[in-house]
Amino acid sequence: MTAGGLTRPGERNRLVVKFSEIDWTLALLVCLIAGMGSIMLYSIAGLSWQPWAANHLVRFGLCFALMVVLAMVDLRVWFVSAYPVYAIGLILLLAVEVMGDVSLGAQRWLNLGFVRLQPSEIMKIGLVLALARFYHGLPADEARFSWRLFVPVALIGVPTLLVAHQPDLGTAVLLAATGLSVMMLAGLSLRVVGALALSALAAIPPVVMFVLHDYQRNRILTFLNPEADPSGSGYHIMQSKIALGSGGLLGKGFGLGSQSQLDFLPEKHTDFIFATLAEEFGFVGCVSVLALYLATITIALRIASISHSHFGRLGAAGVTATFALYVLINGAMVMGLAPVVGVPMPMLSFGGTVMLTVMIGFGLVQAVRVHRYSEITSGRGTLV
Amino acid sequence: MSEPSFFFSEVNERQGVFNRRVFLMGGLAGGGILALGGRLAQLQLLEFDRYKVMSTANQFNFRISPPPRGLILDRFGVVLAANRPNFRVLMMRDEVSDVGATLESLSQLIPITPERRQQLVKELAHTPRLVPIEVAEDLTWEEFSRINVRAPELPGITADMAEARVYPYGGAFAHVIGYVAKVSDRDLLAAGKSPDPVLHHPGFRIGKQGVEKALDLALRGKAGASKTEVDAQGRVIRKDPAGDVQAVPGKTVVLSLDADVQNRALEVLGAESGACVVMDIRTGDLICMASTPSFDANRFVKGLTGPEYRALADYERRPLLDKALSGTYPPGSTFKPMTALAALESGMIDPEERINCTGQMWFGNRFFHCWKRGGHGSQNMHDAIKNSCDIYFYQTAVKIGPDRIAEVAKAFGLGQTFDIGISGQKPGLVPSTRWKRERYNQPWYPGESLSFGIGQGALSANALQLAVMAARLANGKKALNPRLIKSIGGVETPRGDAAPNLPFQTRHLDLVRAGMAAVANDVTGTAYRASQLGLGPVLMAGKTGTAQVRVISAAERAGGVRSNDSLPWRLRDHALFIAFAPYDDPKYAMSVIVQHGGGGAAVAAPKGREIMRVALLKDADVRARITSPMPLPVVEPIAPGAEQEGEAPSPPSDVIPPPLSLQGVVRP
Repeated sequence: MTAGGLTRPGERNRLVVKFSEIDWTLALLVCLIAGMGSIMLYSIAGLSWQPWAANHLVRFGLCFALMVVLAMVDLRVWFVSAYPVYAIGLILLLAVEVMGDVSLGAQRWLNLGFVRLQPSEIMKIGLVLALARFYHGLPADEARFSWRLFVPVALIGVPTLLVAHQPDLGTAVLLAATGLSVMMLAGLSLRVVGALALSALAAIPPVVMFVLHDYQRNRILTFLNPEADPSGSGYHIMQSKIALGSGGLLGKGFGLGSQSQLDFLPEKHTDFIFATLAEEFGFVGCVSVLALYLATITIALRIASISHSHFGRLGAAGVTATFALYVLINGAMVMGLAPVVGVPMPMLSFGGTVMLTVMIGFGLVQAVRVHRYSEITSGRGTLV
Repeated sequence: MSEPSFFFSEVNERQGVFNRRVFLMGGLAGGGILALGGRLAQLQLLEFDRYKVMSTANQFNFRISPPPRGLILDRFGVVLAANRPNFRVLMMRDEVSDVGATLESLSQLIPITPERRQQLVKELAHTPRLVPIEVAEDLTWEEFSRINVRAPELPGITADMAEARVYPYGGAFAHVIGYVAKVSDRDLLAAGKSPDPVLHHPGFRIGKQGVEKALDLALRGKAGASKTEVDAQGRVIRKDPAGDVQAVPGKTVVLSLDADVQNRALEVLGAESGACVVMDIRTGDLICMASTPSFDANRFVKGLTGPEYRALADYERRPLLDKALSGTYPPGSTFKPMTALAALESGMIDPEERINCTGQMWFGNRFFHCWKRGGHGSQNMHDAIKNSCDIYFYQTAVKIGPDRIAEVAKAFGLGQTFDIGISGQKPGLVPSTRWKRERYNQPWYPGESLSFGIGQGALSANALQLAVMAARLANGKKALNPRLIKSIGGVETPRGDAAPNLPFQTRHLDLVRAGMAAVANDVTGTAYRASQLGLGPVLMAGKTGTAQVRVISAAERAGGVRSNDSLPWRLRDHALFIAFAPYDDPKYAMSVIVQHGGGGAAVAAPKGREIMRVALLKDADVRARITSPMPLPVVEPIAPGAEQEGEAPSPPSDVIPPPLSLQGVVRP
């Protein structure tokens, strides 16, 4: 297909053309990461497809299909649905607050009867969309710093506080950080960013001591001094570091990770799957997987930067930021650099909701790429 | 598609900012991932070794099993220290969530006193995490099975069978063999930087005294360990027999002691405070080394209670002291053979020269008395030894001076310790002019020679030294060394007869020995009645000793010296006796000390005789002499047959080989 061909009116809206415009490198990278996750889950289950590995692959297949479908969705449809999605997410969060399931000591799930929904995951997409939608209509100087920024602050703050109250500290931090990332991408004054970062740091001690739940406080205190009680709350961090460290350069070999196989590693199939990877495939395996993540992030950010619409740019970059935050927070946690918070390694960890969220995010990124020439003319977002 | 120009510029400005910010964010993400990579390099490459060890420690569990402790046997293989099964209940601290509740349910199965429970809670606080704690031991089979049946309901509780040390003879060998007990903090310190992990095992006992302590490492053996792969809950996933460390049982230690002689010594000494050492003068082997009163070593294995310990420690006759090695006493008249030998060696005294004993002599500014009121009359050396005449030895000692006596005494083993493999020997003291000068910076006063000559004054010796002295006198040739440990793990230790010859003339030694024979066999000898063995031709030679522990005033002497029975125990004389037998072909030498026992002839010698009888009767050669028919006239072809007939059925291995002449006859 020539460049001239694409300039013909309506040509870009043909499905075949759209399909070919999907970034297949990015798709391949995502497949590789998910495949790696499946391999690890196969190993953890004692070289068995059950109960995780097969499930993981099937889910990924469905999510991948969803990503391709979402990539076909016109960016203006995304634009229009931004606020509604956010609103739905917010309503669900409130619903959880009122009648949520208590699972793992926290109200995070909403049982809709046929599916257990984690509204905070919907919110991750909804928040990025809503912020992108808002900033689309905001001039650069106002995005830098103005009174109108109370809108994004409210958009971020309300769901963050609700999630934090569930209590799900990890997701709350993730939401706040994602929101802040979008604000920064949109051009928020770096001075303000710096000031916010400083005040956040200053706020940590009082928050830890007076606001957090006991178990959350313990996790953080433990993180600061994990060896104080290695079989108590420092256990997770200690065992994770042992798994990582004992992997060495090349690892113990596939299916031979004693830390994960013998249950010393907690949450080995979800939050701590990276430690299993490190134990069995060593430094080389870890660096390879981290390289896959970095490549994914780089490509997604590049897609964001070539979009013609501000909504597309911020949307794609926003979900990429979420993705990057997942990787960094989970990595830091597994390596003993951050407290244990419930943040999984995207695509690698077992878990449907997170995979769905991430793949919807990549659907948005792909949609931005496919529709990169689309202009969304109005700040109010009318369909053409 | 046309837009107002401000819109484009607006878009461009926003896009410019965005592109810069996206670049910034990409940089942040890349930097973050790079940091993760760095952290990975730190953990996986730099600290790999450390985490590898921790991972292995997680994965594999080495369960240490203490090896069976080596047996201690007497010279004939009689078991002196053995191991018996011991059913125990152990608690793994890590696996017990509620110690109180677990102990509560345990106490319904086996008796646990509240005091024991408190003690356990205290113990728990001091024990390393992975070391199990002994809740109870010495359970009956019923209790043991009860725990085993209920074990699944009591996580962290296991019942197992271990071995406990047992001393079948209780106190008879307590001082020599010592005992084992729980490892103390001091033992751990002494074990150095990386102590044997078995020291932490709850069932392990460490040697605390005597042979158990001195040969602890040999007796201990090497702990075995079974390697198992375990999961995080401690469940055994897989056993790894290839990784097992086989336990090496402790080595068997054979002592030179003879349980029969030792037990007889204990019996004979009874409640007296005393010691008896018997030595084989052919090999230097210690046949008996007893100290009374003794204590039951088995009580120490379990751990003494406070009152038990105080009772032992506070008793006047000091059961905890090994009087054979650690108690030093003035040898009294048993020392006179030394003075006599020194006199002969000096050449200043003719053994036939007579000295008249009137019962007392004036020396310096006071009277010195003989033990016999009225005196012995005219005495030559033989008579003086036989009668134990003090006056003769006063005068002899003054004449030859202390240093000659000290030289002889030292050559006979006094004032020194011997390498017998266990600690605790006190060297005692052999005074001399040099010692006096160095110790007190004073010259030797001639008056001191008098006391020295009759084995009193500053002179002191332990029972082992006196036995060695007797053995060297009896052997007459070699400076025999005592041997207690016969073999360790089948490897024989050097015999005591690998020693240099005594630097004395044989005829002098013969003279002294003849005097000692007279003591026991001349009807006028001091120990004639007490020394008759009743073993036919087998006779004993000896020397009695009665060592004063108090000063007898002139006034008391005038009114008659108080008898020992009328004195408090601690003021009574020490009774001593040295002997060897058979006189004509010495095989065994001995010393008996009865602390504050009274007279040597009346108290010590009869006891010595009884002990000596057992030693002699156990000797095949001696038995042959007693039971064989009258020796036939030596006719060449008959001699070997007669000899064989008289021999005991199974001679012990350490019997000296028959003389060369006999071997020659057997040869065709």
